[in-house]
Amino acid sequence: MTTLALTINGRAYGPMDVRDELTMNDFLREVVGLTGTKFGCGAAQCLSCAVIVDRPEGTSYTTPTCVVSAVNFNGKAIRTVEGHAQDGELTVLQKSFVEHFAFQCGYCTPGFLNEGQVLLERLAKRPVARAELERTIAEALDGHLCRCTGYVKYHEAVRDVILADPHRYLIWRTPRGR
Amino acid sequence: MKSELRSSILVSVAALTSILISVLTAYAVAETASYTLAAPESFSSIGDINKRSAALFTELGSVLTNPRCVNCHPAGDRPRQGDLSRLHQPPVYRGPDGFGLETMRCPVCHQSANFEPGRMPGRSQWHLAPLEMGWEGKTIREICMQIKDPARNGGRSLEDLIHHIGTDNLVGWAWAPGSGRQPAPGTQKEASALAEAWVNTGAVCP
Repeated sequence: MTTLALTINGRAYGPMDVRDELTMNDFLREVVGLTGTKFGCGAAQCLSCAVIVDRPEGTSYTTPTCVVSAVNFNGKAIRTVEGHAQDGELTVLQKSFVEHFAFQCGYCTPGFLNEGQVLLERLAKRPVARAELERTIAEALDGHLCRCTGYVKYHEAVRDVILADPHRYLIWRTPRGR
Repeated sequence: MKSELRSSILVSVAALTSILISVLTAYAVAETASYTLAAPESFSSIGDINKRSAALFTELGSVLTNPRCVNCHPAGDRPRQGDLSRLHQPPVYRGPDGFGLETMRCPVCHQSANFEPGRMPGRSQWHLAPLEMGWEGKTIREICMQIKDPARNGGRSLEDLIHHIGTDNLVGWAWAPGSGRQPAPGTQKEASALAEAWVNTGAVCP
């Protein structure tokens, strides 16, 4: 048993003793009761189980939870799909997912949503040129599997959020001659 | 009738015992090294020092060409995985520093130790060898020429190579890869002894 204390969606959990062999996915779903994080392949190959880890310096990344022990998250701050909407108000990205009907069965959606959110936050800090955008989105969403094959819709949903606010997410240059 | 029943039971028990032994043997094989490495002393009968040096590297080559090593010394930008050296899934890429792309870094899944419940291999600083150190698809001679070339071995001297093979923590994972993966032949100490003997005999390539 190892002591675990972490923050999930802004709320502190623990310290509590957990088994060393407990996966983070089981911890979230069975111990904490946050079942929005899915269990898919169990081998880190579909990423439906991905959650966001927030680094102290303000950057974030996603990680699968099905193949990683819960104790590896000791002291960390994470976000799950339950942590996006605030007071029932969906985020811009969530609304875009709905508008594009980016999901069908929805099983992979938490992973895609977390990945898309991390991308938006990264681009807000380090914008890319418009010419780099398609590749940047594809690279970010790569690895997330959708058996309903909603890849294009997910891609478009993320892209439209970015294009709707280009000054925030894209390197913006005034056209020459103006 | 009783005799026939007894015979039938005996045959069944023997068959079950045989199956059990086979399963346990297979499990034991899977949990141990593929085979041991020959000690440097066993090459002393080779009188020609150049041939002896080349023979030492050939033996060491059984480690270097093992999937545990080659999978992360790929020829391209994607690592391979498993004893069959399939392309890594999920699709991950080398990235600018060998630790993966910004969106999927190696240590996110590969933590500081193997995690058996998830069958996830792990060791600190999990990353790919630089592209110029790729061994995939190369012969033992080609690997030998490459490993001696500081431009293609990470700027290492021959002494550095002994140290790298013998004490590097990530290299050491090859002999403790967790269940479901064949370890590299022998032990890290034995591989280090071979590397040292190879260097001391002139580092001749086969």
